[in-house]
Amino acid sequence: MATSQVASTNVSADPSLWLERHGDYLYRYALFRLRDPSAAEDAVQETLLAAFQAYEGFAGRGSERTWLTGILKHKIIDHFRRASRQTPASQLGDETLEHPELFRSASDEWTGHWWDTKAPVDWQADPARLCEQTEFWEVFRECLSPLPERVASAFLLREVDGLESAEICEVFQITTNNLWVMLHRARSHLRRCLEMNWFRPDLAKRSGR
Amino acid sequence: MGTALYDKAIHAARYFLLRRLPTCKQMAPVMSESLERPLTLRERLTLKLHLWVCVWCVWYLENLRTMRSALRARAAQEEEAAADEVESAVKLSEEARERIRRALAR
Repeated sequence: MATSQVASTNVSADPSLWLERHGDYLYRYALFRLRDPSAAEDAVQETLLAAFQAYEGFAGRGSERTWLTGILKHKIIDHFRRASRQTPASQLGDETLEHPELFRSASDEWTGHWWDTKAPVDWQADPARLCEQTEFWEVFRECLSPLPERVASAFLLREVDGLESAEICEVFQITTNNLWVMLHRARSHLRRCLEMNWFRPDLAKRSGR
Repeated sequence: MGTALYDKAIHAARYFLLRRLPTCKQMAPVMSESLERPLTLRERLTLKLHLWVCVWCVWYLENLRTMRSALRARAAQEEEAAADEVESAVKLSEEARERIRRALAR
């Protein structure tokens, strides 16, 4: 009886059908966050398996895909938690990510201020439009790649998924101060990299990069 | 005449501030943290004054906000795509699909 009731909802109990319908979507979602194809494939597999086991409890509330995405979110966080247990702590990245070369050196009269030729510029960007451009996300992914795993992951959890600091600190077992240093480095590096490779590639030539 | 004097005074004030305030390099982490927590009164004041005299830092902060908005917009778009089918070039490979299918059948 119970099975026929469940089957009457808008969700099918066939995980291979979920794979057909939502596999690519879930994979794309996971890949953007995990940045590693095989980790993303594993996350999709774990999600579908967990979904199959939790199926009875779902009872057709909301859409199938939203339900699966909810499970995937947890699997992604689990992945980060496992990964951070395996790698030694204090993987904060280093100061080169802050691009100290953009600031005037200690011998300069204006120490610590931007060099005129390397200072930030107005991007005149529309985030909504950016978001639609596939090429932008390719450049973005390239720019993320020099960041240590943990720094990039923390940045994405914060900016994409809007997780609170406390949750992120718990996942990576770091202090709030560590998180702020990591976010500052991630932002400094990405900002510079996107400026040179997406918003103002003309500047890259000028400052000889 | 009056405006010229005013301009001169403003220029002097800006120069004075630029000399006395924390540098751009010191402001960069504060700008990042302004996206994370409420700044202290002192930090808020320093940042406001710094941004008044330094357009480069205005753009720096603006750039950080643009990155955040673009990423949040992407997340919102993913939510929408949860409702309807969106074709994308990023797909599971056939091998991965087959592997997952086998794992599910177990």
